[in-house]
Amino acid sequence: MSSSTEVNTNLYDDELTIGKWFKNIWTAIRSVTKGLGITFKYVYGVKPVTIEYPEVREELPANSRSRLFNDAENCISCYQCATACPVDCIYITAVRRDKEAPALKTKGGTPIKLDLLQYTIDTALCCYCGLCTTVCPTECLTHTTDYEFAQYTVDEMKYDYLADDVRAWRDRIVK
Amino acid sequence: MENSNNVEKLHTDLMTVNMGPQHPATHGVLRVEIKTDSEIVAEATPYLGYLHRCMEKHCEHLDYRGIIPFVDRMDYLASMNMEMGYSLAVEKMLGTEVPERAEYIRVLVSELQRVASHLMFFGTYAIDLGAFTPFLYAFQDREEILRLFEELSGARLLYNYIWIGGVWNDINDEQLRRIAKFCDKMEESLKKYHDLVGMNAIFIDRTKNVGVISEEMAYQYGATGPVLRGSGIDWDLRKKMPYGIYDKFDFDTVVGKGEMGTVGDCWDRYQVRVLEIFESLKIIRQVLDGIEEGPIIGKVPKIIKVPEGEIYVRTECPRGELGYHLTSDGGKNPYRLKVKSSCFTHTSMLGELGKGQMIADFVATIGSIDIVLGEVDR
Repeated sequence: MSSSTEVNTNLYDDELTIGKWFKNIWTAIRSVTKGLGITFKYVYGVKPVTIEYPEVREELPANSRSRLFNDAENCISCYQCATACPVDCIYITAVRRDKEAPALKTKGGTPIKLDLLQYTIDTALCCYCGLCTTVCPTECLTHTTDYEFAQYTVDEMKYDYLADDVRAWRDRIVK
Repeated sequence: MENSNNVEKLHTDLMTVNMGPQHPATHGVLRVEIKTDSEIVAEATPYLGYLHRCMEKHCEHLDYRGIIPFVDRMDYLASMNMEMGYSLAVEKMLGTEVPERAEYIRVLVSELQRVASHLMFFGTYAIDLGAFTPFLYAFQDREEILRLFEELSGARLLYNYIWIGGVWNDINDEQLRRIAKFCDKMEESLKKYHDLVGMNAIFIDRTKNVGVISEEMAYQYGATGPVLRGSGIDWDLRKKMPYGIYDKFDFDTVVGKGEMGTVGDCWDRYQVRVLEIFESLKIIRQVLDGIEEGPIIGKVPKIIKVPEGEIYVRTECPRGELGYHLTSDGGKNPYRLKVKSSCFTHTSMLGELGKGQMIADFVATIGSIDIVLGEVDR
């Protein structure tokens, strides 16, 4: 050993007597049997705690914050979600609605005064904090309990909520 | 010393080895540059910054509500405690009154989080020292807490649950009953786990007299939390400077006594954490007795504008003391949010602790100070 380091060698300082030798063996046996005793209690009569995933799918609690869904028909384009978003991943474009066009209302009865042209959420950026859903006045933007939405490319994580295929989720979302 | 075959005269160099950033024993992305002399650590230098996410700078451009998801991500194993400290800081500046029920729920969730975090320590520390089973036991119990948090807040790890002025969702009676049941079960099984790991002869041999942090060293480095208490110093912010409604509860501070070896060794720090779970369960039981119906969020303006000034708030987190220094210029965003993290302080001790240890003991030392790199780098 070089002189640059000092090692704590007090572990080996004690002289090993025969008494200590037997005491060590006794300690080891007692300790091991105690530990294994606890382990053997788990051999029988214990329910499995894990879920075999692809066969058994877990249902998440009702207010789980998973994939976002915007019911575009009830959206009044108030931009509150985009303002509340801490990572700025909600992109909204809306124009003023023609006065001659037939008046539209949301489910709750709020008149829609803006035409929604784009409502996109970049889910790859989303941090699932839930702040956007709490500010939504018409409660059209919600977190669903759908958690299986892996994609092959990052671009596919950009959800355009006006597109037909994304609108079709409406039938299978829970909340 | 003269030696006949001149082995002593052979020139031996110190070898530099990188431990981490991807190393199972460093609990995240910590890189420790170790100069080794055969099996012995001659010099250890921790390098940080692999998980730096500019969190403090980001906060300067976010509104006060939007910061909460960010502070969650600092110590991802104790998000509730992170939120609690931040909310307290903003509430003190705003002068908001938090309803009684919300205060109770806050204490409840942060103590549950402390239990979950210490269980995580218990499991990973056993893995560091070569025992795999305790990890599974610990995770089984931790899972129940996470499931409850998921029902409460909607997320398993990054909750965004404690809001400025109160909490997000209310807790119902069924959940309270479940927590009571969990407390009984946890107490019973934790005694079993402590027998399995803490009293095991191999575990004791691996941890006693290893990585000793003396009282003086703990003071000098500014250690907090279980590391400080493990060195035999009776200091708990919940007791000494109560925040929230912690002054209402009756619990003990656990300090290391050096039962197996020296005061302040790895075993003492392990024991402090395990016994702290019992204390947390004590607090949770008192919360369950004292909680009453009422509102869960106080009056907070829709757009939060904190008056000009600054504040420093510190809270007791599972890993030590967490301080928020919030400076405001009266606008919608904070002027500066400086976070004082306990893990950072503890990481700085590694250099001195590691000197002269065996490499395997060094692994035990890193595990025993229980750092989360998310909080170190922020």
